[in-house]
Amino acid sequence: MSIVALGIIIAIKVVVILAIILGIGAYLTLVERKVAAHIQRRPGPMVVGWHGLLQPLADGIKLLTKEDILPSSANFLLYNLAIVMALVPASLVFAVVPFGPEIHVFGYDIKPILTDVNIGIIMAFAFGSLAVYGVALSGWASNSKYALIGALRKAGIIISYEVVITFAALGPIMLAKSLSTYDIVMAQIHQKVWYIFLQPISFVVFVFALLAETGRVPFDIQEAEAELVTGFTVEYGGMKFGLFPLVEWYVEVLSLSSILTVLYLGGWSPINIPFVGFVDPFFFLGPWSGFIWFIIKVTILFLLVLWLHWTLPRYRIDQITTIAWKVMLPLALFNILITAFIAPLLRG
Amino acid sequence: MLSQIAFYLFGSISIICGLGVVSASNPIYVVLWLLGALIAISGIFFSAGAELLGALQLMVYVVAIAVFYILIITAVPWRKLHKNEQHNRLIGVAVLPFVAILYVEAFIVALSGVSLSKNKIIETITKNYGNASTIGIKLFSTYFWAFELMSVLLLISMIGAILLGRKEEKTYD
Repeated sequence: MSIVALGIIIAIKVVVILAIILGIGAYLTLVERKVAAHIQRRPGPMVVGWHGLLQPLADGIKLLTKEDILPSSANFLLYNLAIVMALVPASLVFAVVPFGPEIHVFGYDIKPILTDVNIGIIMAFAFGSLAVYGVALSGWASNSKYALIGALRKAGIIISYEVVITFAALGPIMLAKSLSTYDIVMAQIHQKVWYIFLQPISFVVFVFALLAETGRVPFDIQEAEAELVTGFTVEYGGMKFGLFPLVEWYVEVLSLSSILTVLYLGGWSPINIPFVGFVDPFFFLGPWSGFIWFIIKVTILFLLVLWLHWTLPRYRIDQITTIAWKVMLPLALFNILITAFIAPLLRG
Repeated sequence: MLSQIAFYLFGSISIICGLGVVSASNPIYVVLWLLGALIAISGIFFSAGAELLGALQLMVYVVAIAVFYILIITAVPWRKLHKNEQHNRLIGVAVLPFVAILYVEAFIVALSGVSLSKNKIIETITKNYGNASTIGIKLFSTYFWAFELMSVLLLISMIGAILLGRKEEKTYD
């Protein structure tokens, strides 16, 4: 493959991934509002378009045409830099997410993953937690006590749960004997088992950490509306305000759900019967059925997150960190111990 | 060719950011420059083909360690912390000769062509087993003693930190 073709393929991948993620991210706001409305027995947005289908566009226009306000004695550079520092790392995670099996297009074998580096999963966690700087800087730069308290809480939560999520992910890594996201999925297909069946403890710990890192209920203490009036975003207005929830609640949830799918739910593989094989109702789609399965799994995880968000109350900040260090971390370490005994028994 | 361009790019970024660290007066800018330097250094690791080291640099230094600086600096009354008002500039000047000696040493080592593995042992292992396994093999064979010593040191410092940070009713009876 010539270097020009390689460059073009990479450029196409980047454009497709960014377009899909930011586009879907915007439309997930509508999904969230609809799901929340039906959980609370009301119709939700109904006016703009059929069943509110154009609502995200209307919201976008409203946010973009609003006046851009800079709080007095806020730091102009950091105030704006914080938005970039929140958005970029969250979307960088998708660089190591494999969306499907290798496909054959226009005479090229293309892996639907931007960069199949051999340490992909570490990159995902590193980028995922880089987002903390956006939050911390926004809290400091807006020169407001609410924002600062929110940012400090968020930083505390991320520091605690970053440790937990990494130790939880070590289980599947030990079973797959690889740090590459692509190879982890291939290992699950070869061993004919989704790692959720072998790693139930670490799966639960991972889901908890996912909720905590993305600031979803029950871990949304950093933007608690009742006491902190949305925390670190309180001094932002217009689209700048709109970007923070977009990044935190949608892009990050999507990226961590994708990583969770890769680690525990077999990535693009169809329904699994442990140690027997895979059942694929979409067999007629050929290699493209993998993409459908990946989308289905991420959708289910996203709906699970929404379901928890709109039904549970929130924890106190000390309860959150206590759970992280005294319950989740020991559980994850215990899981690693068990996995060390299971891993040699698996073939492959 | 491409990797050389990447190396010079990340190298110059890290030098510029390093200059920013020592010259900026606002502590929060200092941390941001430091962040840039650390990310550029991880880029150097990547361009040299040491992906695992680069990723660990990102995860450990950029995320885990630098975030504590941000956390502390945002929480203190930073207007009192401007470097100009501090009087420890003398120390900075005083350590300059020692830093210079370190650089001269690094230069001599680079010129004399001392390498980590003369017979390209590490290169062969990397080719056969990949990045993570190479570091694992090296860490648990050649450098095992140093590795264990470091672990014990970290354990001790952790216990010390917990002891210092523990809040307890003081009873002097």
